[in-house]
Amino acid sequence: MTMPYETILIVVLVLPFAGSCLAAFLQSNARNAEAWLAGAISLICLMLLVVSYPHIVNGGVIRHTVEWVPELGLNFYLRMDGFAWVLAALIASIGFLVVLYARYYLSPQDPVPRFFSFLLAFMGAMLGIVLSGNLIQLVFFWELTSLFSFLLIGYWYQTAQARDGARMALIVTSAGGFCLFAGILILGHIVGSYDLDRVLASGDKIRAHSFYIPALVLILLGALTKSAQFPFHFWLPQAMAAPTPVSAYLHSATMVKGGVFLLVRLWPALGGTNEWLWLVGSAGLISFILGAFIALFQQDMKGLLAYSTISHLGLITLLIGLDSPLAQVAAIFHLMNHATFKASLFMAAGIIDHETGTRDLRRLSGLRRFMPITATLAMVAAAAMAGVPLLNGFLSKEMFFAQTIETHDNSLLDQALPYIVTMASMFTVAYSLRFIAEVFFGPPPRELSRTPHEPPFLMRFPVGLLVLACLLVGIVPGLTIGPLLRTALHAVLGDAIPTYSLAIWHGLTPEFLMSLVAISGGVAIYLTFRSYLLVAEGPPLLRYIQGQRIFDRVLVAVSWQFARRLEELLGTRRLQPQLQLLFCAALLVGLAPMFAHGIEFGGEARTSFNVAFALIWAIGCACALAAAYQGKFHRFAALIFVGGAGLVTCVSFVWLAAPDLALTQLVVETVTTVLLLLGLRWLPKRIEKFPAADPPERDSSWRRFRDIGIATAFGAGLGALAYAVMTRAEPDSIARFFVENAYALGGGTNIVNVILVDFRAFDTFGEITVLGIVALTVYALLRRFRPAAESISVPEQQHSQDLYDEAQPTREKGDTLRSAMTIPRLMMALLFPVICTTAIFLLLRGHDLPGGGFVAGITMAVAFILQYVARGTTWTEEHLRILPVHWMGAGLLITACVGAAAWLFERPFLSSSFSYLEVPWIGSIPLASALLFDIGVFALVVGATVLMLIAIAHQTVRSHRTPSSRASAASPTAEVG
Amino acid sequence: MMFEAAGYQLLPVLPEIVLAVGAMVLLLIGAWCGQRAAGLVTGLAICFLIGTGVIEYLLPHGRLMTFGGSFIVDEFARFLKILALLGSAATLVLSREFLEDQSRRMFEFAILVMLSTVGMMVLISAADLIMLYLGLELMSLALYVVAASNRDNVKSTEAGLKYFVLGALASGMLLYGASLIYGFTGTVSFAGIAAAAKTGSIGVVFGLVFLLAGLCFKVSVVPFHMWTPDVYEGAPTPVTAFFASAPKIAAMAVFTRVVLTAFSGVVAEWQQIVVFVAIASMALGSFGAIGQRNIKRLMAYSSIGHMGFALVGLAAGTVEGAQGVVLYLVIYTVMTFGAFTVILAMSRNGQALEQISDFAGLSRTNPLLAFFFAMLLFSLAGIPPLAGFFAKFYVFSAAIKAGLFALSVIGVITSVVGAFYYLNVIKMMYFDEQAEATDAVHIELRSVVAATALFNMLFFVYPGPLVSAATAAAKSLF
Repeated sequence: MTMPYETILIVVLVLPFAGSCLAAFLQSNARNAEAWLAGAISLICLMLLVVSYPHIVNGGVIRHTVEWVPELGLNFYLRMDGFAWVLAALIASIGFLVVLYARYYLSPQDPVPRFFSFLLAFMGAMLGIVLSGNLIQLVFFWELTSLFSFLLIGYWYQTAQARDGARMALIVTSAGGFCLFAGILILGHIVGSYDLDRVLASGDKIRAHSFYIPALVLILLGALTKSAQFPFHFWLPQAMAAPTPVSAYLHSATMVKGGVFLLVRLWPALGGTNEWLWLVGSAGLISFILGAFIALFQQDMKGLLAYSTISHLGLITLLIGLDSPLAQVAAIFHLMNHATFKASLFMAAGIIDHETGTRDLRRLSGLRRFMPITATLAMVAAAAMAGVPLLNGFLSKEMFFAQTIETHDNSLLDQALPYIVTMASMFTVAYSLRFIAEVFFGPPPRELSRTPHEPPFLMRFPVGLLVLACLLVGIVPGLTIGPLLRTALHAVLGDAIPTYSLAIWHGLTPEFLMSLVAISGGVAIYLTFRSYLLVAEGPPLLRYIQGQRIFDRVLVAVSWQFARRLEELLGTRRLQPQLQLLFCAALLVGLAPMFAHGIEFGGEARTSFNVAFALIWAIGCACALAAAYQGKFHRFAALIFVGGAGLVTCVSFVWLAAPDLALTQLVVETVTTVLLLLGLRWLPKRIEKFPAADPPERDSSWRRFRDIGIATAFGAGLGALAYAVMTRAEPDSIARFFVENAYALGGGTNIVNVILVDFRAFDTFGEITVLGIVALTVYALLRRFRPAAESISVPEQQHSQDLYDEAQPTREKGDTLRSAMTIPRLMMALLFPVICTTAIFLLLRGHDLPGGGFVAGITMAVAFILQYVARGTTWTEEHLRILPVHWMGAGLLITACVGAAAWLFERPFLSSSFSYLEVPWIGSIPLASALLFDIGVFALVVGATVLMLIAIAHQTVRSHRTPSSRASAASPTAEVG
Repeated sequence: MMFEAAGYQLLPVLPEIVLAVGAMVLLLIGAWCGQRAAGLVTGLAICFLIGTGVIEYLLPHGRLMTFGGSFIVDEFARFLKILALLGSAATLVLSREFLEDQSRRMFEFAILVMLSTVGMMVLISAADLIMLYLGLELMSLALYVVAASNRDNVKSTEAGLKYFVLGALASGMLLYGASLIYGFTGTVSFAGIAAAAKTGSIGVVFGLVFLLAGLCFKVSVVPFHMWTPDVYEGAPTPVTAFFASAPKIAAMAVFTRVVLTAFSGVVAEWQQIVVFVAIASMALGSFGAIGQRNIKRLMAYSSIGHMGFALVGLAAGTVEGAQGVVLYLVIYTVMTFGAFTVILAMSRNGQALEQISDFAGLSRTNPLLAFFFAMLLFSLAGIPPLAGFFAKFYVFSAAIKAGLFALSVIGVITSVVGAFYYLNVIKMMYFDEQAEATDAVHIELRSVVAATALFNMLFFVYPGPLVSAATAAAKSLF
C-alpha cells in the first residue's frame, strides 16, 4: 500500500464518523446493509492499522498535524505510538466482532440505523481518544464517548431502566469529564503546552509544581469515573440496561478502558509520587475487592459481569497505582486480556439471554445440554477470568501477584497487600465458577418459555474467535501477544523496559502459590455458600449501601429540593422585595469600599453652623420622613409633606444665594403639586387599614419600619458621600468658563439663563421639544380615559353642601356650590392680569437677572391654573383664546427660526447676537437674539403645561356625564385640543 | 467635507445616523398608513439593520474618534456592533410571524427595536461617561416599552413596569457612580479617567462600584438579576429573545470597555468585584434554573449563568480574557437565539407552549426540531465539540492564565450543575411520553433554528476567522 502513514491516521479517525453519518440515513430495517457497512469500516480501520504496524514497532511514532486554532497554539494533532496502536487495534477488532454479533442480536423491530450510527460514532470517538496527540483534543473525544455511551445505553428508551441508567452514566462520566478538562487545563498551564509529547517529557516539572495535587486529583476524577472505579462505580451496573453488544463493546472492552488508558498514558508525567500511589492504588484496591465481592451476589448475569468488570478494572488501576515499570507491564497486559475474555463473556451472556429470554441465574440451569458449543466457549472465557493456568488471565494475574509482593512504601497496607489480593481473587474465582455452574450445569431449566438452542453460527463466531485468542495467548504468549506487548511498552516506558517473562511456568514461585490458594479458596467458597447465594438479596451489609440510591438521593436533594428552597429563599416575583434587594445590594456595595478604605472628608472650608438654617432643614427632613410614612395610607397628606420638603429646598437655594434656582424650584413645585392633586382626585384619599388580617397588622408595620431603616441608611450613605465630595477641592470644571464668558460672549449676566439660551441653546431646543412631546403624550393618553365608576362620586364637601341645600326650604340643590367660590373667583379674575404681567416681566429681564423663559412660562401657567380652580373647567376651556397646541407650535417655530436665522449671517445654527434698546420710561432693555429664543421657550412651556392641565382637569367634566349622553356627544376635547 | 457638521467628523457615526433616521422615516410611514403597514415597516427595519451593519463593516479600518473623543469606533466596537445589529435583525425576523396576529399587529415594535439598537451602538462606541449614559438610556427606554408590548397581557404589562422601575433605579446608581468618578477625577472621558485613576483612591473606588452596579443590572448578573426571570417570562417570546441577545452584547461590551480602558490602573479593585459577581451569577444561574417549570424562566436563569461565565473572561483582565468575552458573546448570542426560536416555534392549536413539560416527546412529533434543540441545549451546557464548549474554554483558559484558579474551578463545577437542567429538557424530549402534536413551524423560524444549530455544531471545524476577528477586537482595547 502506498498510502502515507499520516493519511492512514486521518482515514482511521474519519472513516467511522463518515460511516456513522451514512448509517443514520439507511432504512430502519436495513439490518444487513448496516452490518455490512459497519463491519467493513471496522475491518478497513483494522487493516490500515496493521499496515502501519511496521512503522511503530520499534518505538516509532506516526504524527499528523492540522492547524486548528493557531491563535491559541492548538493544533489538531494525531499521534500514534505503540500503546495507542494496541488500543486502536483492540477497538477496531472488537468493534468488528461486536458489529457481527449485533447483526444477529438485534431484532428486526429495532431501529437499526440509530444503533449502528451511534456505535460507529462511538468507535470514532474512542479512536480519537487513543490517537490524540493533544490533551484538549483528547478531552473533546472523551466527552464524545460519554455522549454516545449515553445514547447507546438509552437505545431502548421505552424502558425506565434504560432511561435512568443512561442518565446516570452521562451525569457521572461527563461530570468526570469536566473535572478532567479542568485538570488538563492546569496541566497545560504548568507545562505551557497541551502537546502530549511535551507533557510527557516534563514529568519532573509537573511533579514539582505547586498545582500538582489539584491537577492530579482532577485528572483522576475524570479517569476513575470513566473506568467506574470506587466510589464512582455505581453507574456501570445501571448501564447494563443497554443492548448486550453495547455492554460488551463499551462497558467492558473499550470505553471503560479509557480511564486506565489515560492513567497509563499520563503515568510518566504524573506518576512516581506518594499521592499517585495512594490515590490510584487505593481506588483500585477497593474497586478490586468490592467488585469481586458484590459480583458473587448478583443474580443477573450482566450484573455479575458488570461488577466483575469493576473488579478487573480495579486490578488494573491498582497495578498502575503501584507505580513501577513492571506493574505497568502487567497493567497493559491485563488490559488487553480483560478486553478479550470479558467481551466474549458478555456476548455469551447475550446469546443466553437471546435464546432463553432471561438473564436470571436462579432461573437458568443445565444449558450445557442445549447449547454445548456456547457452553464450552463460555467456560473457557470464565476460566480465563478466574485466572486458570494455560489461559491469558492466568499470565497477567501472575504478574499482578508478583507486583503486590514487591515492597512499595513498606506501610502496613503494603505488607498486607498480597493477602488482601489473594482473598479478593478467591471471590473472582467463586463468581466465575458460580456463573458457569448455575447457567450450564444442573438439571434442565423448567420455567423457561421456550426451548433454548444454539445460536446461528455467525452470532457465535465472535465469541469463538475471542476465546481462541484467550487460549493462544495463554499457551504461547511469546509468539502471539509478546511482540505487541513489547511495542506498547516501548511507547509507555521508552527504552527502559524492565525484563519480564511471558513464560507459562516460572517454577514454584510465591505468585503461583497465591494463584493456587485463590483457585482452591474460590471453589471452597462457592461450594460452601452455593445455596445461600441463590436466595441472597444482595451482598450482606453492603446491600444497604447502594451507590445508585445515594446518588439519586443526592441528585434529588441538590437538584430539586435545594434548588426549590433556594428559589423560595432568594427568588420572588413581587416588585417590593426586588426593589428592597436592589437597595440593600447597593448599600452593601457602597459599604464595602468604605469598610476597606475608610472614608475621609475633604478639607475645604465649610459654612458655619446656623441655628435658623438647621431648623429649616429639620422641618424639611421631618416633611420628607412624614411623606414616606404617609405615602401608602394618606396620599393627600403625603403630597402636602412633599410640598413642604420642596419648599425647604427653595428656601435653601435662597439662603445659599441662588435666587434663580429658588424661583424655578418654587414655581415648578407649585405646578407639579397642583397637577398631582388633580391626578389624586381619582385615587382613594385615605386607606385606614389593610382590608384583612393578611398580612397581619403588626407584620406590616414591622415591614414598614424596616423599610424606613433601609431608606434612612441609604440616605445617610448618600449624604455622607455627597459631603465627602463637596468638602474637597472642585476639579477644574467648565463652570469657570461660563462665569468668565457669560457676558462677554452671551451678553447676559444671568449665567444660568445665558447657558440655557446661548451656550447650550441646542440642548434647550431639544429639551423643549421633548417637553412638547411629553405634553402631547399625556394628552393622548388621557384623552379617552374615563375614571373608574367608584371614584366618580361627588366630593364629600359638595355632598354636605347639597344636604344643607335640601334641608333648607328656600334653597335649591346646588345653590351653595354656585356661590361658594364667588369671592375667590373675583380675586383670581383680578389677579390674572397681574400674574401675566409678572410672567412677561420675568421673561424680559431673564437675560440679566433671575427669570427667563422657563420660569415665565410656568408662572403664566399658574395664572391659568388659578382660573381653573376658581371658575371651573368648563368656563375656562370656553374662554381659552389661544389654544395650547398653538402656543406650543409657535414656541417651537420661534426657537427654530431664531436658530436658523443665524445661517443668514453665515454663522452656525443658533449663534446669538445682542444689543440694548432704549425705550422711553422703561429704560434700556437688553435685546439679544437670545430673547427671541427665550420667548419661544416661554410659549412652549405655557402651552405644554396648560395642555397637561386640560388633559387632567377635563376628566372632571367627563366623569359627571351620564352614560346616555356619552354616546351622543362628540369628544368634548375636540374643541379645546 | 460631506460627513462633517459643527466641526465634528460624522463618518464614524454614519451607521448610527442612518439607523436613527431610518427609524424616524419608518415611524412616519407607520403613522401615515396605520397598523396595516406593520409588515412593511418590519421588513424595511430588517433591511435598515442589515444595511447599517454593512456600513459599519465598510467604515475605514483602524481607530476612528469623533465628538471630541467621546465616541470611538475601533475593531472591538465594529465587531460587537455588527453582532448586535444582526441580533436585532434576527429578532425582527422572528417576530414577523408573531406580529401577524391581528391583535398583536403593531408597527411600533420594529421601530422600538431599531431605536434600542441605536442606543446599543452608541453604548458600544461610548468613550466617555456621558455617551455611555446616553446610549444606555436610549437602549433601555425602548426596551421598557418593548417588554410591555403585549398590552392586553397582564404578565407582559407587569414585566414592563417591573423592568422600568428597577431599571430606573439601576440607572440612578450608574449616574451616581459616574458623578462620583467625575467628582474625583475631574473628567468623564475614559482615557482621562485612566490617566487620573492610577491608584485606587477611595472616591474612584466608590464611583467604580456604583457604576459597575448599574452595568451589572443591564447585564443581569447577581445581585442585580432579580428582574430577569420575571421579564423573560412576562415579555412576548420574540421580545425575550431580543432581551437575551443584543442588549446583553451591548451591556457586556461597555462593561468590558469601561473596566479595561477607563480603569486599567485599578485592576485589583474591579477584579474582585467581577470575580464575586461572576461566581454568584454562575452559582445562582445553575441552581436557580433547576427548579423551574417554565422554559422562559429557565432560559432567564441560564442567561444569568452565562453572563457569569462571560465575566470569568473579563475578570482575567488580559487580551485573552477580552477575546474570550467577545467570543463568548458571539456564541452565546447564537445559541440563545436558536433556543428561543425553538420556544417560539412551540405552539399547539395556536396557543404558545412555555412549560418544560410541553416538550415531552418532541423527538417523535418533530424529530428535526428536537434534534436541533438538543444540539443547542448541549451547546449551552458546554458539551464538546459544540460551540458552547469553546466559548467556555476560551474564558476559562484566559482565567487560568491570569492565575484565577479558584474562579475557574467554581466555574467548571457550576457548569456541570448547569448541564443538568439542559439535559433534563433533552430527556423530556427524547424519553418521555409524547403529548399531542405541535403546530407546524413557520419556515422563517425553521431556518433560524437550523442556522443557529448548525453554527453550533460546526463551529469547531473552522473557528479560525471568528477567533482571529475576536482577537483583533480584543487587541484594540489594549
